[in-house]
Amino acid sequence: MLSYRYTLRETTQNLQRNLQLATATIITVGVSLTMFGGFSLFQTAVDGATKRWADGIEFVIWMNVDTTEEADKHIRRMLENSPEIADWHYKDQEETYKEFKEIVAGNEEILDIVEQEILPPSYRVAPIDNDVDIVQELGDQFKGQPGVRTVTFAGEAIRDIQDLAQRSGRVLFIGSVILLGASTLLILNTLAIAISNRQREIEIMRIVGATKWFIRLPFMLEGLVQGVLGAAIAMVSNMLLRTYVIDRFGQTDAIQLLSGFKVSDAALLRTNLTVLIIAVIVSVIGSGFAVTIYLDDDN
Amino acid sequence: MIRFENVTKVYKGDVVALRGASVDISKGEFVFLVGPSGSGKSTFIRLINRENIAEHGRIFVAGRDIGDLNSWKVPYLRRNIGYIFQDFKLLHKKTVWENVAFALEVIGKPRHVVRHQVSAIIDLVGLSHKQDRFPNELSGGEQQRVSIARAFVNRPLILLADEPTGNLDPKTSVEIMRLLERINDTGTTVVMATHDSSIVNRMRQRVVELNRGMITRDQARGVYQ
Repeated sequence: MLSYRYTLRETTQNLQRNLQLATATIITVGVSLTMFGGFSLFQTAVDGATKRWADGIEFVIWMNVDTTEEADKHIRRMLENSPEIADWHYKDQEETYKEFKEIVAGNEEILDIVEQEILPPSYRVAPIDNDVDIVQELGDQFKGQPGVRTVTFAGEAIRDIQDLAQRSGRVLFIGSVILLGASTLLILNTLAIAISNRQREIEIMRIVGATKWFIRLPFMLEGLVQGVLGAAIAMVSNMLLRTYVIDRFGQTDAIQLLSGFKVSDAALLRTNLTVLIIAVIVSVIGSGFAVTIYLDDDN
Repeated sequence: MIRFENVTKVYKGDVVALRGASVDISKGEFVFLVGPSGSGKSTFIRLINRENIAEHGRIFVAGRDIGDLNSWKVPYLRRNIGYIFQDFKLLHKKTVWENVAFALEVIGKPRHVVRHQVSAIIDLVGLSHKQDRFPNELSGGEQQRVSIARAFVNRPLILLADEPTGNLDPKTSVEIMRLLERINDTGTTVVMATHDSSIVNRMRQRVVELNRGMITRDQARGVYQ
């Protein structure tokens, strides 16, 4: 039978005895998970802002709301017959409204005044060659066609943002993986010291008949507490990052391309839950290895 | 209570610590293990609570072959075996009371049981007035009494003592032996390894002598020689 009071007391004492190393571990876990969370949040924000330009879509043909069937068929024929177009798909008003809601998620004022009926349907076009000049020339063929309201292009800026997000995301991801590896080793090291400091207690526990898990549990919990406290730092950092950095980008009027650059509450919650799960996994691996290696008990 | 059947224990480097040992110890017996250093006394004791595992032969404790015991069952075997060390092995950051209580807490005994049993055993070893002291505030004899209290607090069937008077002066050793006799009187089987001839000769209990890992003498009401 486990004594929860005993286990909690021992876990707390272990943390207090090793306070400096435990603090270093918690901060490292926190920093690595903040990097991971930041990577995830920026990726979400960039995906949101460039949503309609994903999957090689280089230009959008916006149709009039009251386009005739004949005009619509004409555009489809042009798309089907063009040898320079790799793929295209049609978004009706319902799908456009759904996409619009995702882009302006959380902005109730805009959602209140915009209705599905006023949003135009569109064709999303992915050319074979995405050279800027070729794309421009191809898109211009649709301008002025019957039923076409306008044609918009992804342009180099969008591609640059996507590339930048991808590259910086990769750096953040690799950095966070390396730091998470370091965190695992730090947790292992902290517990190795805790176990070494308590050799005599452990010996007595074995002699008087404490079970393997009774001996292991306070150390496992110590590792878990370090991981969860690190995750708490990362979760708070992620919230601050969302509020003071990402959302501010999205609100700025100076950079039009970044409108829609935001992270919804649901996405933040998802990221923070992922951070917490990773912290638990890292601490279980670190402490699991520590008790297996350093407690060295076959009984 | 304890039966060794042709037990051999070999350590790394082919060091034979115990060679074909056979012995039968009944419930409530007091047995001295004697012999020179390296004769296998400590190995004999460690085999009983399965700190060591024999290479050959069988060991029965309370009718059970402990060689067949699953490793997860070993802690439950040890709850029936008290262990006293020559160097006491007390926890220096815990008081007398906490040291004794520790043995019950770590096997998950409820708080009211811990409170009751610890107070009773500290009273038995005569340290009630010093229960809040730390080990470094006690004499060697008192520390050994705490160690005995910790070993006996769970009322084990067997008490193993590895040179418990090795670090004590003769007068204190006698006090410790009186305490072990009182515990033995409750029906607890006591197996004690010792070099102390005066104690063995005075108590006239069963003596099992080991030499180079072999049992060379097993004598009821024996002497040290």
